[in-house]
Amino acid sequence: MTSQPEVRPARARRPDPARLHTRGRWPPPDGPRVAIVGSRRPSPYGEAVAEQLAADLARAGVIVVSGLALGCDAAAHRGALVGGGVTIAVMGTGVDIVYPAAHFQLAEEILAAGGALVSQFADGTAPRRHNFPARNQTMAALSDAVVVVEAVQGSGALITAEAALDLHKEVMAVPGSIFSPLSVGTHALIRDGAGLVQNARDVLAALGVGREVLDDPLGAPSRLGFELPEGRDGMLVHLSDVLTVSAAELARKLHLPVAEVLGRLTSLELDGAVRRHGTGYVRALRRGKERA
Amino acid sequence: MLAAVDSCVLAGLEARRVEVQADSANGEAKFSLVGLAATSVKEARERVRSAIKNSGLDFPRRRLTVNLAPAEMRKEGSALDLAIAVAIALAEIGGRAPEHSAFLGELALDGAVRHVDGVLVAVRGLKKAGFRSVFVPATDASEAALVEGIEVIPCVHLAEVVAHVLGHTTIVPQPFTVATADSASDVLEHDLAEVHGQEEARRAIEVAAAGGHHILLSGPPGAGKTMLARCLPGILPPLEPGEAFEVAQLRSLLGDLVPGRPLDWTRPFRAPHHGVSMAGLIGGGSGFALPGEISRAHHGVLFLDELAEFQANALQALRQPLESGRVTITRSGGSVTYPARFTLVAATNPCPCGWSGDPVRACRCTPAVIDSYQRRLSGPLLDRIDLQVGVRRVPLAELASEPVGEASAAVRERVLAARARQLERQGCLNAQLKGRRLRHSAPLQPGSRRTLERWAEQKGLTARGFHRAWRVARTAADMEAEELIDDSHVFEALGYRLNDVAA
Repeated sequence: MTSQPEVRPARARRPDPARLHTRGRWPPPDGPRVAIVGSRRPSPYGEAVAEQLAADLARAGVIVVSGLALGCDAAAHRGALVGGGVTIAVMGTGVDIVYPAAHFQLAEEILAAGGALVSQFADGTAPRRHNFPARNQTMAALSDAVVVVEAVQGSGALITAEAALDLHKEVMAVPGSIFSPLSVGTHALIRDGAGLVQNARDVLAALGVGREVLDDPLGAPSRLGFELPEGRDGMLVHLSDVLTVSAAELARKLHLPVAEVLGRLTSLELDGAVRRHGTGYVRALRRGKERA
Repeated sequence: MLAAVDSCVLAGLEARRVEVQADSANGEAKFSLVGLAATSVKEARERVRSAIKNSGLDFPRRRLTVNLAPAEMRKEGSALDLAIAVAIALAEIGGRAPEHSAFLGELALDGAVRHVDGVLVAVRGLKKAGFRSVFVPATDASEAALVEGIEVIPCVHLAEVVAHVLGHTTIVPQPFTVATADSASDVLEHDLAEVHGQEEARRAIEVAAAGGHHILLSGPPGAGKTMLARCLPGILPPLEPGEAFEVAQLRSLLGDLVPGRPLDWTRPFRAPHHGVSMAGLIGGGSGFALPGEISRAHHGVLFLDELAEFQANALQALRQPLESGRVTITRSGGSVTYPARFTLVAATNPCPCGWSGDPVRACRCTPAVIDSYQRRLSGPLLDRIDLQVGVRRVPLAELASEPVGEASAAVRERVLAARARQLERQGCLNAQLKGRRLRHSAPLQPGSRRTLERWAEQKGLTARGFHRAWRVARTAADMEAEELIDDSHVFEALGYRLNDVAA
């Protein structure tokens, strides 16, 4: 997906690398850089995808760039760490301020793994709403490709994608469920010509570094990564990876008392086969961590 | 001449005897009222003077002194009017009030005896203090007659009362109100049969009713949280006579009783708006505190819709009553304790806009906003709510069809059976089991204990959370008439919790 070589909007200027404030190893080691961005409140599916994709890319030697935000960003950083790779967090605050504060530990781990925290803002800059769109553009500028994992309409991840277009970078998106509001942004990108990402190989191919052969595609729920207890898998086929199903809906489908369904779901949850999300349940996807 | 008549003032649910002494003596015509009377009592002078004159009696044209003893106790309210008037009339005429009798009532200027609040509480207190007969406003006679063993004389007019006291005429005493359950309350305003879908929340409401557990419903606007909450009283057993009496006492204090029908057998349902102040919620006022919403909900249901919107201090103040079933409030007049054993039904949106977690509609709130919204709910209050359930919107197509759920009557049968089992085993509902009693009355099978412990380890359950699930598991077992708690009960209990709202 390329844009017309028109006048570049001012906001898409490549930030002056000399003016970047950094912590950790900078400049980073050589290698392709891929930004993985997405909703701060992804579905379990989106979070699993971000983590898995980052892990696979990291294993293939890609440097994963993201924004240290909640949700997809954090999952991407975590995945890269799990995959033993280097990851760069592009921040909307000064590099001495970790925002959200809950990611202090994650930031430390990124640094410990040879990654970096970078920011165009001076030390001591507190989180300001208007700084984050600018950060998103910097993220695009620092990456060779941007992969969007789950984004509602108007999401900040789409700003990153747009900035990447303006800079003639590759923009790709991960498809999701057509029923989920979190897929609206990503599907719009795909409709407009963004590359469709089903696994890390798709990203590597787009970067022209597809030599590494990855053993399997992303997120195939056929292999669940745990042993199913006897006689309870009847529930699982009615659960989705993306959309949550409530105990009541499941009870209706299976013609079972809701108390029993609730109990069995909780029991599956204890075994790691399903996860609670909001008021419903989803099938637990294998995460990067469990595969490593 | 000197005359003395008894009455009482209320301090919470306690009646304090007041002796009204009237003396008319030679001297300048003057009426003084002494004995630490508050403004509302001082005004009695004007009412009493007119009432006596308009009853065809003579008001002393001499120096008149009325003393309210004991003098160091502050007196409030208009209930002393009747006693003051009778004392003055007797002082002028030279009669004596009957032994062991007391007078309660406000006077109108024409001598009519008007309603006062708290007659039931006063009469119960007077009976305890050894009084044998009590004169009360006729409108309040039916509530006064709920107290057995004291003669209740309904008063319509001051002239009539004085004539009765002097023995000229006789007022027929009010017969004792026999406490029998009426069948009128069998028709439910809110029936579970009207609830569409919501099987999970229905079941949770049933568990709450069966074990006396507090419950939190979380879900988007229009999901039916209010409807579910309003169905709860209908699946609870009717009030026991003793409970109905306690409820009537609190209503009497607040002047909320229906005249002629003092006992109500349906469980109270109170739904204060989230703007309610702390005083309004737990009780308050000057002098002695009056009961608040939590006491009005005694033996019934307190429904707090939009829990996160309530003032933080009001919610904090709920903790003691949730724990102990009563509340003690101190005001300038002294401390009073009111009973407040209610089932709490709280409802909340998952986030300020209400759509977080909805499978179809996108939520507009930022994670930080959601976090701070839910933080308002977390902590000590949530720790005391055994059941936490997510409620989902019912698809429109389903709303149009005929609901297929069970009716409240059928659910109530099961609730009654489960409650009976608990009362027989341990003398209280499962929700009240704590510590040693929980271990003793609800022993866990080795297998189910392991399950609970595994969960606690994996999910980082707090000790409170552990006990919460344990209690609910006991109720789940009781609902199946099982003596032992097995794995399925523990798993069901663990299912009633919300991930997003801290565990």
